[in-house]
Amino acid sequence: MKLRHLLASSMIMLSTAVWADPTYRLFASNERDNTVSVIDTRTGEVEATIDIGQRPRGIGLSPDQSTLYVAISDDNAIATVDVKTLEVGPRLVSGDDPEAFDVAPNGNIYLSNEDDATASVIDVVNNEIIAIIPVGIEPEGVAVSPDGSIAAVTSESSNMVHIIETEGHTVIANILVGARPRGLAFNSDGSLLYSTSEISNEVQIIDTSSYSIIKRVSLDSIENSRPMEIAVSPDDNIIYVTTGRGNSVAVMDANTLDLLDNIPVGNRVWGLTLSRDGSTLYTANGVSGTVSVVDTQARKELKQIEVGAFPWGVTLDD
Amino acid sequence: MKLKKLLASAFCGALLIPAATMADVLEVTLHYAGPESGSAWKGVQQGVDEANLQGQFLGQNYQIQVVNPDDIDSIEDITVLLMATDEETMLNIAQHERLSNVAVFNLTSGSDALREACQPNLLSTIVSDSMKQDALAQWQERNPDTPVSAQAWHEDFEKFAARQLNNRFSRAHGVPMDDEAWAGWAASKMVTDSIARTQNLDSSDMLTYLKTEIAFDGQKGDGMTFRENGQLRQIILLIDEANEIVAEAPLRGVSGGLDSLGQNNSCQ
Repeated sequence: MKLRHLLASSMIMLSTAVWADPTYRLFASNERDNTVSVIDTRTGEVEATIDIGQRPRGIGLSPDQSTLYVAISDDNAIATVDVKTLEVGPRLVSGDDPEAFDVAPNGNIYLSNEDDATASVIDVVNNEIIAIIPVGIEPEGVAVSPDGSIAAVTSESSNMVHIIETEGHTVIANILVGARPRGLAFNSDGSLLYSTSEISNEVQIIDTSSYSIIKRVSLDSIENSRPMEIAVSPDDNIIYVTTGRGNSVAVMDANTLDLLDNIPVGNRVWGLTLSRDGSTLYTANGVSGTVSVVDTQARKELKQIEVGAFPWGVTLDD
Repeated sequence: MKLKKLLASAFCGALLIPAATMADVLEVTLHYAGPESGSAWKGVQQGVDEANLQGQFLGQNYQIQVVNPDDIDSIEDITVLLMATDEETMLNIAQHERLSNVAVFNLTSGSDALREACQPNLLSTIVSDSMKQDALAQWQERNPDTPVSAQAWHEDFEKFAARQLNNRFSRAHGVPMDDEAWAGWAASKMVTDSIARTQNLDSSDMLTYLKTEIAFDGQKGDGMTFRENGQLRQIILLIDEANEIVAEAPLRGVSGGLDSLGQNNSCQ
């Protein structure tokens, strides 16, 4: 808590934000049964299941962590939930078929419209789409840089990482990466962008000063690996990569991409999130219908918690 | 930074600005022999349209040149030839001296003889008859009472982002994607994917690249590769009498994986 207050007061841009006490709730979007599971991470129990809308996939929190956003793809909308009361709020516009998204520091939502080959920017306050940006085919992963200056979007079928500058919402770079790019994550100062490629089974580092790939490695040593989502440790030293049907989380050196460890979790693991202190990792295991809790120090799965049908992503209020 | 700014302005509304305004656009022609109607043709067009969308960002512009197989001598530059003709014409053209280092794609023939010919520059994206027969045999061994048919593709196939490909094909062409449409899409997509990576239009380099380097994302699962006999390895869908997908071959537990389907003859 102290660190959090310190951070809040040092970040003057958040002048009106008041950090609420965290709920320590983990939210999982269950793609096949149209619900969100709410787990109290202090007890490891599911405390609520929320009917959210058709085909929930991308999931995330507002910058002040008061509101949960869930992309409900088949309803063409973003659902909102009050993180404290768990009440479902008004839906936000999203354009067609919203899949993954990230929330910028100013609160705007950057999302991929999978069937439309576009990325959209949602002004949450006015509930309007303020930009539609043409990208490659089957846009998927989205990440906004920590300072909010650029957003990155992958296009799965066109094999690109697109860089969008957020002031004018124009594409400023297109990086050809391995086949079927999926997840993206920035390091804490935004100097490096990590990306995964599912079919070529690679993890790549993109330098955001040159927008070029400076390192790429294959995860061939992990059986059935299809790299998906990425989380960067708070100290920027480690990245965690879910491997899909590899049913594991790859632990990699964030600079060399050396594979340090491979932690078995549930089946067809996609989404993941780290606790703020980096000590605990949570994964959404689609085929198992569970969320794994992983101790990152011991690099061991502690338990699996049953959630709904085909969990897609997870996000944590801590 | 200057380049970056230039690019930024060029991409302002990328769909509105023709790719030709970009300084260094690579112009690419893919040659095609066959009817300018029907599934394979639509599939080729779909692949090229998708490549042109990618090319708007990366600086390639693709077009299809339709050729008559009889006029093969008069073609100036050729990178690949996509064919939707009868099998005899395909083999004759592939054996044509002028095309010995050019990848010739079979988009429509299931002929086993064509695979057994081991013509080194002939690549089949369409499945062979024996691949379907083997898929059916695997099914019948386990489910003798449920009749099924074998297909390379199906309009209701959803896994591996097949759903997205089905959506955009039917949206563009008003008909569902079928086996030949997929084969046409796959051939043009893998060629254009390769060009985006290699920036090289040399036919001989392309042929080597296709046969040794690619792990093609055909939206049918793992990265796809060619057998020595030129057949693209791929799963086969088993469809019941209600037109529902009931299984994917190779069926679970069958040894040999994708090579349990069809001939895998050595061409030494």
